[in-house]
Amino acid sequence: MSRFPDPIRAGLARGWHVLGGPHGPLPAQIECDVAIVGSGAGAGITAELLSRADLRVVIVEEGPLKSSTDFHQRESDAYPTLYQESAARKTADKAINILQGRCVGGSTTVNWTSSFRTPAPTLTYWRERFGLADMSEQTLAPWFEQAERRLGIERWLMPPNENNDLLRRGATRLQIATGEIQRNVRACWNLGSCGMGCPTNAKQSMLVTTIPAALEAGAQLLVQTRAQRLEHAQGHITGLQCVAVRNDGQPDAGGATRIVARHYVVAGGAINSPALLLRSALPDPHQRLGRRTFLHPVVISAAVFEQPVEGWKGAPQTLYSDHFLQTQPIDGPIGYKLEAPPLHPVIFTSTLPGFGRAQTELLAQFPNTQALLALLRDGFHEQSPGGRVSLRDDGSPLLDYPLNDFVMAGARRALLSMAEIQFAAGARTVLPVHEMAQAYTSWPQARAAIAALPMKPLLTRVVSAHVMGGCGMAGDPQRGVVRPDGRHWQIDNLSVHDGSLFPTSVGANPQLSIYGIVNRLATQLAHALAGREVALA
Amino acid sequence: MRRRTLLQLGIGSAVALAAIGGGIALLLPALDGDGRLTASGRAVMRGVARAVLDGVLPVDPGARDSALAAHLRRLDDTLGAFPSATRGELSQLLSLLATAPGRLALAGLRPSWDMADVAAMQQALQDMRSSTLSVRQQAYHALRDLTNAAWFADPGAWPALGYDGPVTV
Repeated sequence: MSRFPDPIRAGLARGWHVLGGPHGPLPAQIECDVAIVGSGAGAGITAELLSRADLRVVIVEEGPLKSSTDFHQRESDAYPTLYQESAARKTADKAINILQGRCVGGSTTVNWTSSFRTPAPTLTYWRERFGLADMSEQTLAPWFEQAERRLGIERWLMPPNENNDLLRRGATRLQIATGEIQRNVRACWNLGSCGMGCPTNAKQSMLVTTIPAALEAGAQLLVQTRAQRLEHAQGHITGLQCVAVRNDGQPDAGGATRIVARHYVVAGGAINSPALLLRSALPDPHQRLGRRTFLHPVVISAAVFEQPVEGWKGAPQTLYSDHFLQTQPIDGPIGYKLEAPPLHPVIFTSTLPGFGRAQTELLAQFPNTQALLALLRDGFHEQSPGGRVSLRDDGSPLLDYPLNDFVMAGARRALLSMAEIQFAAGARTVLPVHEMAQAYTSWPQARAAIAALPMKPLLTRVVSAHVMGGCGMAGDPQRGVVRPDGRHWQIDNLSVHDGSLFPTSVGANPQLSIYGIVNRLATQLAHALAGREVALA
Repeated sequence: MRRRTLLQLGIGSAVALAAIGGGIALLLPALDGDGRLTASGRAVMRGVARAVLDGVLPVDPGARDSALAAHLRRLDDTLGAFPSATRGELSQLLSLLATAPGRLALAGLRPSWDMADVAAMQQALQDMRSSTLSVRQQAYHALRDLTNAAWFADPGAWPALGYDGPVTV
């Protein structure tokens, strides 16, 4: 049992309006000013701002309300309760495993706290290719500054753990620049368990910041409740049908509600947001919906060192390198960002290749294992159109993301870069996470072997924790689903406020891009709906 | 020949897995309505565990049996939390692997999962892993990843990793 105060349980005891699951049955109908689907990065920012404008807000979250008292730093607790599909959501061909949150706070409750403003080259590309004239470093800066103040996003002053510092040491020897990652934490204990829910409430996720602020201001939260379908007529949403769901996502018999609002904000995360619009059969005259869904496909390299690394200890992802994003044109061969992820037993053993005695030997070296990951910057080239969300027969979403030769050529270069850095840092062996790779003992050996690996899906291990796009914003309806202000091109009282807005991948961990850009959209929406000036910070 | 044709049709397609497994699943579901393993599903996953976890399972037969029983209970918990679409696919996969023709077609394994020795099952897993048929590769990843996830979630498995568990706060 954590001895930390639990602000969520305290709020519930004070009478926050929370229904669904253990908090009480759903009423048949709810009327409000704004219905918000989701409770993650975009939904949380929107909920706080609209509540501050005295709008009556209802938040609909598919996952449960869990808080610090429930967070035991155990993967066996966290994955089934806090993640989409038990942290085993997969693309259609099963070649990419996707980590996404499914709980109050969404992915912000379980992410690794990495906070980057949207990179300037990405914004330039959005202006030039998607008609988003108002997306620049200068115009977005005040919106990012507010989000950073509100969420404690600052330099991380503790020394990096060995897992991260090895990235710095290896890269430095190769004259590759690294930088510090800002984190959204206050009084962080440096535990390293961010991915299982923060037990000390240090992480400034939506769970402990904007959602409580909205609830204090009178917003209503429906948990374990899925937004099933938006009703619409003549370019106008007339209601939102919701059903109660169990932990496994199956409808809970008897529980349903219909929400009638002036305005509807969809922020269920990329994959789920386009799926809701698809289930609702909203107009899509230019066939943009669900298309151009991006993942930052990730490949991994594991290295064994003489010294202990203990990659589960200390803040995850505190250093990065953008060298391989900045040394080539954004619309050329795919570039990649390097980071050092946290290592825990389930995620480590289910990601590394092999089985039996070979696996046992590999896993015995877990305390001395360092891992690097490369986030491939997808969506900036005609051969990187991303994936497409469609619906299964039961209405659940399925993302088809073909890993083509263009993307996999980037994956090969990334495996090479990571191995070279790890050997430069003093690695005894380096294992590219690929079914046909071995633990190599020198950089020349690794270089030759990686050059010859068949870079195919299901042989190369590819994962993702950054889902973006599918309801892209654009300056005209031919190129996007929503307008530059987040409103749907064909529906007047519907906005999209989450990572599904992005017309390409971000090229950096996306949480702060969502906070900052949605801050602008939601502040403007509050003004439009309530005639009030509000500010996040 | 007929089986070969079926598999060739199924290259790269999860739909094919459903088509091959679907008819059999009607007779021998590998997961029950709550996502828990049935007797046939347990037999497959117990065999897979003996192969994948070779080296970390206890050597003593009694201790190994109880470790495997606990592992299968954790697998039930894991499977029970999956959405119905995932459970349906896994049920079809395991149903297929529980039958002699399905086991041979997909895993290349002749003896049943109860009877096969560890080396034979490991060879079968390796053949699936390096197969050019996506449906066999997908099956390999599902079996291996599920097994590792359920086994290494348990604190009892952590000493083999040198993992000292979370810091008490």
